[in-house]
Amino acid sequence: MAMMLPDIWFAIIGFILFLTVVSDGFDLGIGILSLFTQDENRRAILMGSIGPVWHANLTWLVVLGGLFFGAFPLAYGVIFSALYIPVLVMIFAMAFRGVSFDFREEARDKGPWNLAFGLGSLLATLAQGFAVGGFLSGLQMDGTTFAGGVWDWLNPFAALVALGLLFAYILLGAAYLIMKTQGEVQADSYRYAQVGAWSLLVLAVALVGWSVYKYPFLARKWFTWPEAALTSLPLLLAAVAFILLVRSLLTLRETAPFVWSLVLCALATLAVAASIHPYVILPTVTLTAAASPTPTLVTMLMVVSVILPVMLIYNGYQYRVFRGKTTGGYGGYEE
Amino acid sequence: MDGTAHILLSRLQFALTTMFHITWAATSVGLSAFLVVMEGLWLKTGDDAYYHHTRFWGKLFLLNFAVGVVSGVPLEFQFGTNWGPFAAATGGFFGNVLGFETVLAFMLEAGFLGIMLFGWQRVSRQVHFFATGMVALGASLSAFWIMVANSWMQTPAGGHWQAGRYVSTSFWGSLFSPDMPWGVSHMWVACLESTLFIVGGISAWYMVKNRQVEFFTRSLKVALVAAIIITPLQIYLGDGSGRSVYRTQPTKLAAIESLWYTNPPGQGAPFKLLTWPDEDKADNAWEFLRIPDGLSLLVTHTFTGRVQGLRDFPREDWPPILPTFYGFRVMAGIGFLFFFLMLWTVWGWRKGRLNPENIGQQKWLLYAWVAAIPLGILAIEAGWVTREVGRQPWVIYGLLRTADGASRLPAVTVGTSLFVYGAIYSILFIALMVFARRLIQRGPDLSRPVPGKTALGGGAWPWQ
Repeated sequence: MAMMLPDIWFAIIGFILFLTVVSDGFDLGIGILSLFTQDENRRAILMGSIGPVWHANLTWLVVLGGLFFGAFPLAYGVIFSALYIPVLVMIFAMAFRGVSFDFREEARDKGPWNLAFGLGSLLATLAQGFAVGGFLSGLQMDGTTFAGGVWDWLNPFAALVALGLLFAYILLGAAYLIMKTQGEVQADSYRYAQVGAWSLLVLAVALVGWSVYKYPFLARKWFTWPEAALTSLPLLLAAVAFILLVRSLLTLRETAPFVWSLVLCALATLAVAASIHPYVILPTVTLTAAASPTPTLVTMLMVVSVILPVMLIYNGYQYRVFRGKTTGGYGGYEE
Repeated sequence: MDGTAHILLSRLQFALTTMFHITWAATSVGLSAFLVVMEGLWLKTGDDAYYHHTRFWGKLFLLNFAVGVVSGVPLEFQFGTNWGPFAAATGGFFGNVLGFETVLAFMLEAGFLGIMLFGWQRVSRQVHFFATGMVALGASLSAFWIMVANSWMQTPAGGHWQAGRYVSTSFWGSLFSPDMPWGVSHMWVACLESTLFIVGGISAWYMVKNRQVEFFTRSLKVALVAAIIITPLQIYLGDGSGRSVYRTQPTKLAAIESLWYTNPPGQGAPFKLLTWPDEDKADNAWEFLRIPDGLSLLVTHTFTGRVQGLRDFPREDWPPILPTFYGFRVMAGIGFLFFFLMLWTVWGWRKGRLNPENIGQQKWLLYAWVAAIPLGILAIEAGWVTREVGRQPWVIYGLLRTADGASRLPAVTVGTSLFVYGAIYSILFIALMVFARRLIQRGPDLSRPVPGKTALGGGAWPWQ
C-alpha cells in the first residue's frame, strides 16, 4: 500500500489537473473569444455565461496547487521555481481576468476591463501553456535542485504546447458557448469550435511526433503492452472522439460538442500523465523520490477521498442551479 | 549585490503580497459572517429591510472577494516559486495543510458563491441562506487552515527533522501546535472585529449625511452588539497570545518589548510604552513611560516573573526589533481604542440616544465610528508584522532559517516580479476604492424586488 501511495496521488492530481484544464479552460477560452467582439451586448453574454461559476472553476487550479504541494513538495518547490516567469505572468494575467467581471459591472468606461478580461485570459493561457511546455521539456537537475536557468521554458517545444493549449481552450470555450447561448453567438461559436478543433488536431499530431523524438523511452511505453493501454490507446480513442466532435459540430448538436471536448481533454490528460509516469520532474526525479512522507500521504488520502466527491456534488449543484441558456447581463442568468 | 539580494526581494515580495491579501481575506471572513446574520434576520423576522441590507453589503462583499481571490492565488504558488527549499522541506505538514485549505475551505466558498450572488430567484430562500452560510463557513475555515499552517511555523510540533525535511508523525500534534489555539482565535476574531467597525463606520457615515438613517441604524446596532462581545474578547485573546509568545518564542517577545536585559531574580521586567532600540549598543537609545514590573505582570501575571532579554541570545537570532516593537503597539492600541468606542456607544444607547430620530445629533460619536473604518485593517497589518517579523530570522522557528528556505533565483527576476506586483496591486487597490466609494454613495436600492418564498418553478428544496 505504502509503495502505491505516490502513484495514487499522481492519479488524483492528474484528475484535478483534468478538472482545472476543462473548467477554467472554457472560462479562459471564452475570454480569448471575447477579444473578437466589439459588441457590448455580446460581450455581456459571453461573460455572463460563466459569471456564477468561474470562481469555482478557478478554484480547481488552487486545489491543484495545494494538493500537489502536500503530496510532492520537492517537485512543487523545484518546478515552480524553475517556471518562475511563466507562473508569475499567469498569476498577473489572472489577476486582471479575475477582477474584470465585477469591476466592469461598476465601471463607467468598460473598455479597460473588457481588455483585462480578454487579454488577461489570452496571456494567462499562453503563460500556462509555456509553463506546462517547460515542465514537459524536462528540467535540468543537479540531484534534487534545479540547475537550469530562468528562461529554459522558452523553447520551441514549449511554444508548441502553449499553442496547443490555446486552441484547446478556444475549443472548450466555444463548445461551452454552443451549449449556453443561442442565435448569432451560438452560430459563431460553431465556427470557432471548428477552428479550435482542427488547429488542435494539427498541433497534437506535431506534439506526439516531437515527443517520441525527444524522449526515446516513449516509444517503448507507447508500443508495448500493457503500458500502451494507458498511453497510446487513449490517443487512439482521442482520434475517435475527435471525429465524433467534428460530426456533432456539423450536425449542430448543442451539448455533444462540449461533451466530446471534455472526453478529448480527459484522454489527452491520461495519455500525458501515463507517459510521464513514474517521473514527476522529467527526466530524472521519480514520484517516489519527490513524495511527502507516508503518514502525510495517508492523512491526505483519507480526507481527499471523502471530500472530493462532496466537492464534485456541490459544484455540480451550482451548475444545475444555473442550467439553461444564459440571458446575458451581470451574473448571466435571470435572477 | 552580495548574492543574497534575491532572498531579501523574495521576503519583500511575500510581505507585500500577504499584507495586500490579508485586507480582503479578513474582510471576506467578516462580511460573509455579517451577511449570514442579516439574511438570517430577514428569514426570521420577515422584515424586508434585512433583505436589502444583505443585497447592499453583498455588493461590497463581491468587490472585496474579487480582489481577495486574485491576490490569494499568488500566495499559494509563491511557496513554490520563491520558497522552493522551504516547500520541499515542509510539504509533509505545511503543504498538506494548504492542500486541506483548498479542498475543505476555499472550494466550499467558491462552490456556493455563484448561488449566493446570482441565485436569488433560482433557489428558494432556505437554499439561498444555506449557500450564504457555506460561503461564510468556507471563508472562516480558510482562515482556520491558514492560521494552523502559520502557527506551526511559529511553534513546530508533532514531528521531527529527518534527512533535510520535516516529517510530521502526528498530524494532530502538528495541527494543535502550541501557538495554534491562540493564532487561530486571535486572527479569526480580528477578522470579525475589523469588519464590524467597517460596517458600523459606513453606517455611521450615512447618518452623518442624514441619509436612510433608520435603515442604517439597524446595521450599526448589529455591529454594536457584536462589538460588545468581540472587543473585550479580543483583548483577552491578545493577552493569551502574548503569554503564548512568552512561553514559546522568547526572542520574539524580547523584540516586541525591546527588552535587552533579563530581570534578576526578585525584580520585575519593566514595560515601556515607547522606545528606540539600538542594536549596536544592544540597548535602548531612550525609553518613554516606563512601568516598573509591567512586563513581568503582563506575561507572567506575577511582579517578578523572569523575562529573557535579547542579550541572552546570540545576535544572529535576533529579529528586527523596531517593526516588531511598534507593530505590536499599533495593534494593541487600536484594540483598546475599539473597546472604548464600544463603551462610549453602549453608554449612548443606554441613554436612548441611538434611535433613528436622534442618532444624527451624536456627531462626535458618529465621526469616531467613521474614523474607525480603516483602523481594524491597520491593526491586523501591524499585528501581522509583529507576528512574522518577530519570528525572524527563522521561517520555521528554531528549525529552518528564512535565508535557507529561499529559491535561488536571479535578483533581477525577483525584483521585476516584485515591481509588477506593486504596480498591479496599486491599480487594483485604486479601482476597488473608486468602485466601493461609488457603491456607498449610491446607497442601497430599496426598490429592488424581494424574491418569493420558493425558487422559480420549484419547491423549497432542490429535490422538490
